Amino acid sequence: MVGIIQEQHPSRARLFMQWKQMDWPVLVDALDLLEVAVVPITLLIDEHGVIRRRVSPRSDVAEVMESFLSGTYEAPPAVVRPERVGAGVVEAPGDGATAESWRRHAESLLLWGGPARLDAAIDAFHRAVEADPEDAWAEFRLGVAYRLRYDSPGGSASNFASAVEHWARSRTLDPNNYIWRRRLQQFGPRLDKPYPFYDWVAQAREEVRARGEEPSRLPVEPRGAELTLPASEFENAAAGTGPDPEGKIHRDGGQFVQVTSTVVPHTGQAAGTARVHLEFRPNPANDAHWNNEVDGLVVWIDPPQGWAVDRRKMSLTNPPSEASEESRHVEFEIRRTAESTKSAEAGVSGYALYYVCEGARGSCLYRRQDVSVSLPPAGPAAAR
Amino acid sequence: MRLALLSLLTLSTMSHMPILAASALRVNEPFPDLTLPSLDGGKPLSISDFRGKKVVLHVFASW
Repeated sequence: MVGIIQEQHPSRARLFMQWKQMDWPVLVDALDLLEVAVVPITLLIDEHGVIRRRVSPRSDVAEVMESFLSGTYEAPPAVVRPERVGAGVVEAPGDGATAESWRRHAESLLLWGGPARLDAAIDAFHRAVEADPEDAWAEFRLGVAYRLRYDSPGGSASNFASAVEHWARSRTLDPNNYIWRRRLQQFGPRLDKPYPFYDWVAQAREEVRARGEEPSRLPVEPRGAELTLPASEFENAAAGTGPDPEGKIHRDGGQFVQVTSTVVPHTGQAAGTARVHLEFRPNPANDAHWNNEVDGLVVWIDPPQGWAVDRRKMSLTNPPSEASEESRHVEFEIRRTAESTKSAEAGVSGYALYYVCEGARGSCLYRRQDVSVSLPPAGPAAAR
Repeated sequence: MRLALLSLLTLSTMSHMPILAASALRVNEPFPDLTLPSLDGGKPLSISDFRGKKVVLHVFASW
């Protein structure tokens, strides 16, 4: 029994295997080099490396297995197939090289070059896309590279936005790939997906601990859209009053905290629904840090006319330390309501309130930063 | 083998996936010779490393 897992975060797959007590060898195909458009797929491969059968979910699995294991298969005629990607970095091609050459170089950097070569992998994928703007696989894998960069030391919110941008581009080029659609849905509106992605993590940890084992560690914890269930009610601008309705709190224009937004639209036909990711990061240029001795970050959203959000107010709990510098994330969903028929680009605004300090002995202040996010126009419905 | 079969059934029923063909994988053709990182962090693996044995290969996801 051998597995190939489509997963950008191998640690999550390790926890899954530990939870299910599966100890078969598993290969990690974060880039979908196998070029499957759907999972799961079960194949029976004979001792010569030839695929003999694809197991259908409707099959009598036990019967199919017994037949396969007891069967005999002739060796095929000797055919030498070049290995698409071996274990090791492929040398960079020269100027004027094909998109395929740049893609192979980029893939090898990402698979075997380690975190230090991620930027080089991203550059190489960009060269592939420049050589062939219609290369959907290069666009998807460029998105994977950006996401890995986001999760690596020094990663920034713009990396996440770039990942979403390139995944969306790959879907524009080929809307039929289920894997690519799921990658966007992982961070998109919860109404867009048939079920949550990593809602099993808490249960897995609980059951693993109950067995007396330590759960496999997750360096990148699932959060937000990856965990939550679909919202049943949305609020429009008439619902509730914000924490600073008269705008009396002094503004921070980015001196202390920098804000980045990423919008992940619905991948299906409900155009006008999106999930907005906001990231707040203390400005390292001013040695800013969160003051955790008071209230945590609060975000208030004012949806425009004709739109509603799943929640207007979001409040984060501070970590136990007195001060910290981590990026803080807030997500909300926004959808067009029945009253609005406009297809022009809209924007949603709001503000964040936070306590922040400047430098080791600098001032600690309470500040407001206004946030404005552009939303994609309705347009024609996307292909499923 | 019984545990492996039960595992396979569990994974298949959890996945809620549509039944579509993977164009690169065809019956009666060799499986692509592709080396990938191993989940346990050990030596990189290829399906060709299992040549000489019959393999039940499950391509899946943990999401």
